[in-house]
Amino acid sequence: MRQPVLEARNLSKTFASGAERIAVLSGLSVSLDAGQSLALMGRSGSGKSTLLNLFCGLERPDNGVITLLGERFDYREAGVAGQQEKRWARLRRRRIGVMFQEANLMPALSLLDNVRLRARLAEQPLEQCRTWLERLGIGELAERYPDQVSGGQRQRAALAMVFAMNPDLILADEPTGSLDRRTAEEVTAELFRLQAETGVALVLATHDPELAEQCQVTLDLAHGAPAGPAP
Amino acid sequence: MNLFAALFSHYRRHPLQLAALALMILVATTLWSGVRQLTEQARTSLSQSEQVIAGRQQVVRVDGARLTVSDFVTLRRVGLCVMPWLEVPRQGNVGLVIGVDPLAAACFGGEGGTFGNSQIRLEGEPFVDVSEAARLAEELPDAEPPPSLALIAAGNVTADALPAGYRLADFSRGPDTGELGESFLLNLDALGILALLITALLLRSVYRLGIVQRRDSFALLHRFGVPPAQVDRRLVVELLVLSVLCVLPGLWLGSLLAGLLGQGFGRSLEGLFDAPLYEAPGQWLAPAFTMMAVVLLACLADFLMPGGHRVVARRGKGKLAGGFLLVGLVLALLSPSLLWVFVAVAIVFTGAGLLTPALINRLAERAAGASADPLSRWRYRELAVMARQLALPVVALQFTLAMVLAIQALVTTFEDTFDRWLGQRLEAELYVAVPEGRSGEAAARWLASQPELQTSGAWHRVIRGRGSVSVSGSPPTPVDLFGLSPVSSLVTNWDLLAADDDPWATLTRGEAVLVNEQLARRLELGVGDRIAVEVAGEQLNLPIAGVYADYGRPAGEILISGTLLPEQFQPVFESFSITPGALPLAELIRGLEAAWQVSDITVRDNEEIRSLATGVFDQTFLLTRAMTVLTLALAALALLIMGWVFFTGRNWYFRLLAAWGLSRREVAAQLTRLSVGLTGSVALLALPLGIWLTWVLVHRINPLAFGWSLPMAVYPGFWVELIGLSLLIGLGIALLMGRQLRAGAALPVSASSLTGGER
Amino acid sequence: MRRTALVLLLTVLAGCSQEPEQAGFAGLAEDVAERGQRSYLQPGPDTGLTFPEDLGPHPRHRIEWWYLTANLKTESGEPLGLQWTQFRQALVPRDAGSKPAPETWPLEAAWMAHAAVSWNGKHVFAERLARGDVGNAGAEARPVSVWLDDWQLEAVEDDQWRLQVQAENFGYDLTLTINDQPVAHGIEGFSAKSDSGQGSMYFSYVDIAISGTVRFQDQVLDVEGKGWFDREWSSQFLKTGQLGWDWFALHLDSGDKLMAFRLREDGNPYVSGTWIPASGQVQPLDSGQLALSVIEQREGVPVRWRIEVPEQGVDLELSAPPGNYMNQGLYPYWESPVGVSGSHTGEGYMELTGYR
Repeated sequence: MRQPVLEARNLSKTFASGAERIAVLSGLSVSLDAGQSLALMGRSGSGKSTLLNLFCGLERPDNGVITLLGERFDYREAGVAGQQEKRWARLRRRRIGVMFQEANLMPALSLLDNVRLRARLAEQPLEQCRTWLERLGIGELAERYPDQVSGGQRQRAALAMVFAMNPDLILADEPTGSLDRRTAEEVTAELFRLQAETGVALVLATHDPELAEQCQVTLDLAHGAPAGPAP
Repeated sequence: MNLFAALFSHYRRHPLQLAALALMILVATTLWSGVRQLTEQARTSLSQSEQVIAGRQQVVRVDGARLTVSDFVTLRRVGLCVMPWLEVPRQGNVGLVIGVDPLAAACFGGEGGTFGNSQIRLEGEPFVDVSEAARLAEELPDAEPPPSLALIAAGNVTADALPAGYRLADFSRGPDTGELGESFLLNLDALGILALLITALLLRSVYRLGIVQRRDSFALLHRFGVPPAQVDRRLVVELLVLSVLCVLPGLWLGSLLAGLLGQGFGRSLEGLFDAPLYEAPGQWLAPAFTMMAVVLLACLADFLMPGGHRVVARRGKGKLAGGFLLVGLVLALLSPSLLWVFVAVAIVFTGAGLLTPALINRLAERAAGASADPLSRWRYRELAVMARQLALPVVALQFTLAMVLAIQALVTTFEDTFDRWLGQRLEAELYVAVPEGRSGEAAARWLASQPELQTSGAWHRVIRGRGSVSVSGSPPTPVDLFGLSPVSSLVTNWDLLAADDDPWATLTRGEAVLVNEQLARRLELGVGDRIAVEVAGEQLNLPIAGVYADYGRPAGEILISGTLLPEQFQPVFESFSITPGALPLAELIRGLEAAWQVSDITVRDNEEIRSLATGVFDQTFLLTRAMTVLTLALAALALLIMGWVFFTGRNWYFRLLAAWGLSRREVAAQLTRLSVGLTGSVALLALPLGIWLTWVLVHRINPLAFGWSLPMAVYPGFWVELIGLSLLIGLGIALLMGRQLRAGAALPVSASSLTGGER
Repeated sequence: MRRTALVLLLTVLAGCSQEPEQAGFAGLAEDVAERGQRSYLQPGPDTGLTFPEDLGPHPRHRIEWWYLTANLKTESGEPLGLQWTQFRQALVPRDAGSKPAPETWPLEAAWMAHAAVSWNGKHVFAERLARGDVGNAGAEARPVSVWLDDWQLEAVEDDQWRLQVQAENFGYDLTLTINDQPVAHGIEGFSAKSDSGQGSMYFSYVDIAISGTVRFQDQVLDVEGKGWFDREWSSQFLKTGQLGWDWFALHLDSGDKLMAFRLREDGNPYVSGTWIPASGQVQPLDSGQLALSVIEQREGVPVRWRIEVPEQGVDLELSAPPGNYMNQGLYPYWESPVGVSGSHTGEGYMELTGYR
């Protein structure tokens, strides 16, 4: 039996807002196989970003178990966070590509240097970096700085960074949310093209139903259960 | 929501920024107004004590004898308006009291009011009734030169009205006390201005950072149809309100600070310049306005300049900085007066201030280009950004580090030199003053006849008095005169600043004179120059065989062989310096007592005298040190605040590192390398500036201000300490930032590329 | 002046002494024995006068003065008034024979001298101060000598004194011929100053012929006329509540002399005087025998007076010449010559203190 890339069981997370505690997630379970794509849907504040952060260890759930690329993170007992921290960091560094809506690049580095930095952290060969920029159609912008290129070009560079690290899982948080519709479609097309080519698993948080439709699985956080075609 | 509320909402979201700005204004005001108040007090005191004696004349005896109360009576009985003036050093050698007679002073009433009854307040210090001063003089240890009475004459006393046997003379205490005091105050002023400039830099940096962060909301307001001019006006009002709220408590704290430092400061001032520290009336209006003007100017300079809120172009800064440095360095080398040296220092500092951030930026960019590792390239690039963004606090830190370094070098050099000098001066083990009314002659004969003393010990006789010196017909300069005989081995090992082949031999033969550094500088004398010395009416024409160092007093001084002193010379003070060797102390004392036919001579050992002398100087530098340390603390605090604000703006990008898989510890290490790299390079760049400033203090300012110069010395040990301190400041910044990273793992919901996104 | 002068000396010296003395009129009324181990002596009705010793200083008394007023005429017959006074104020009482060493700049006594000339409606005044026991100020009884700096009164012969004063705008050099024996006021020289027994020792030479020169600004005038010389000392004069004093010394053309004073206080002023007839017994006057009243004020100063001694048939009107006769020293007071009319004619001097 194939091991799922990501398996989450019974995740719950609450936030303190003033005196109140708001439950963002309660008892959520989800599973994702290699090469699969999962769309996280929901309005803003529905917990999409939180869930993505839980999947890469930048946040901790209050309860539940996450198994990621064979590593098991059990949050049902208290006091285990310390050891988990390092394991999460290792995973993020080598195997999980995280991509945000914007500001994925270090402003003080050129696009190429950004890709090289990400590749170096993932211990991937640096020679491939320029190729990745070229594959994303921005090879001639390699020496430019983030503030010298457009938002779409920045997100392409961010894609180059993510793929240059040769990840097993990509977590993308509204990656086209700040782009105009056409650019967004172009960037999304690149994302899915490369995902298909590399066979990497993808979790995409978005509020755009059309984008979500391109994924194999959709998890609507408003309803709290995966929908769409069965795995 | 009105415009004010809209503008203020920024600070509601960033209360720490407001707090930082308020804190900077408060601390800057405290520091500056504290220094200013001290300087004002000192200035008032100096001018008060100078006014009392300014342009005064005194009556002296033609025969040079000490004046007594009967001279006073004689002069008063012929109708001359004279008053007694008896200066007595206080116990512990801290300043002095001046005995005057308010009843005799009444006849001075019309003269500018300085001696009128209402003016001389006998409420303790420094003026006391002359009877009290006479009583204190009686209680002085024997070894002190006994205080001598002066009779000050009113302006209407003319020479031809004087009875026979008296003449008029200028009344002044020490040749350049006024100038010396002024120089000291100028130093303090410069310190105050430097502190003000540094704080203005810091203020400006904190304020500008806030403005940059508020650009978005300004743009938003503009889009809503609020004219930019209106926003600017509101910003001015906002700043005015803030500065009023912070300047006033700052002034209050400043007066507390002045009070705290004032005591030690007052003592040092009194010890050095005989200037008592009076309670100066508290001023607050002028300093309040000055400080508010500084706040407004520092913060709103951009509004005043065409081009609005834009950052000044980076290009051409290097050339400008180079130009400033060149002009300043040349000026410091050539300037003839103290004021111009200070101007030169200001110019050099301006140049250094322009150059430093650009230099760090350039070096970091170069290092980034040279490094193959993307992570270190990122770090160098970040350092370059920091150097540019934190330019103002970085420069402020550099300035204060340089200042601290230079002042430490000056003070330490002085202490070392002074200590060595004092060691030579106090070579003898014992000092015995000749009792009043006795002659040194008998004692000298007895000492010369002691075989133990000749073989195993050493001694000489010092006769101290007054004389005058002139060079090729110039008007005579009064000097302190020391007659030395015999010239013993106790003096011949003095380090002379300049000397001919065998100065002590020619001095012994009475064929030459030695002069102190102050006199040599003032009259531009060198070894081999001939000077005319007038001693008790007799003229001596002698070459200078050497120049000796003399610290502490600005007075000119010459050393001649005691055999040259004429019969009628009236010593002010006479003493013996003795290293008894094999001669038992008890026998020595018995011999001297027999020679003088007294029963209780006072013998002081050199430890006693040494501690007396060093105590005065310790006080003097206390304030300077305190002020520099305070400024350093302020600069460190500012860099801490600014670094913290900077990192907050760039927080997202450090979080990216975490998202990319660096553990928190690793991110913190990167942060530390960055901030420590910054403060470390600031410290390194402060070194040459500090060493240059030391040179200026030692070779330019000191000779101009005090009349003596010091050997230039550097203290690498202290550099290491300062660099260590800078690294600690860097660590502090990293620690603060690390806390912020640890505070929560959540990434910001959104990050504007405008915020902290500079490359 | 007199009393008030001493008060102001105290004020001046308060700054000098280590324990400042209580200044003000009350200061004079404090307990006599309060200072130091040695107490001040307080004169009384049985103290009596001794000559010539009492012309010299009384260091066991707190205050004393030598006081000359003169009604002179210039060669052209213009009246010229003249005053010279020297005060001694003790800070520490001591016995006559013992003197501190001058080298210690002792501050056991302070001296003050006043000189004034009134002529042609103009009034000039000078003041000198000195500490005692140093030597530039002092007094001796034998021969009479009172000096402060270059101002001095000196006996040339037994009954002839020379008074020399040089100030900035004026000066004088006078020969004083004493024509009579001293007149003791009150009881054997004890002149009571209040109903409760405070008082001073007080005697006068009332018949003095004066001649000499007066320098008045840049004029030198030969003068002649008569003078009145007072010696007075005490340790305690005014009691608390006494506000000031009005004093008169009159030479009547009949040859009679009259001294009268009034101490102003809340309620009834204390009035006293001495009638000195051209021949016959000197008669002390008390408030039942002597009446003083103000007729006219000039800018707050009573310049015209009525003095009555009914028993002697004396009913005088006194008036100061036009002008301002305030001695503007540390403590201003009025000292002017007066003309006398009424039952008798004559001239004299008037001193008024405590008016401003």
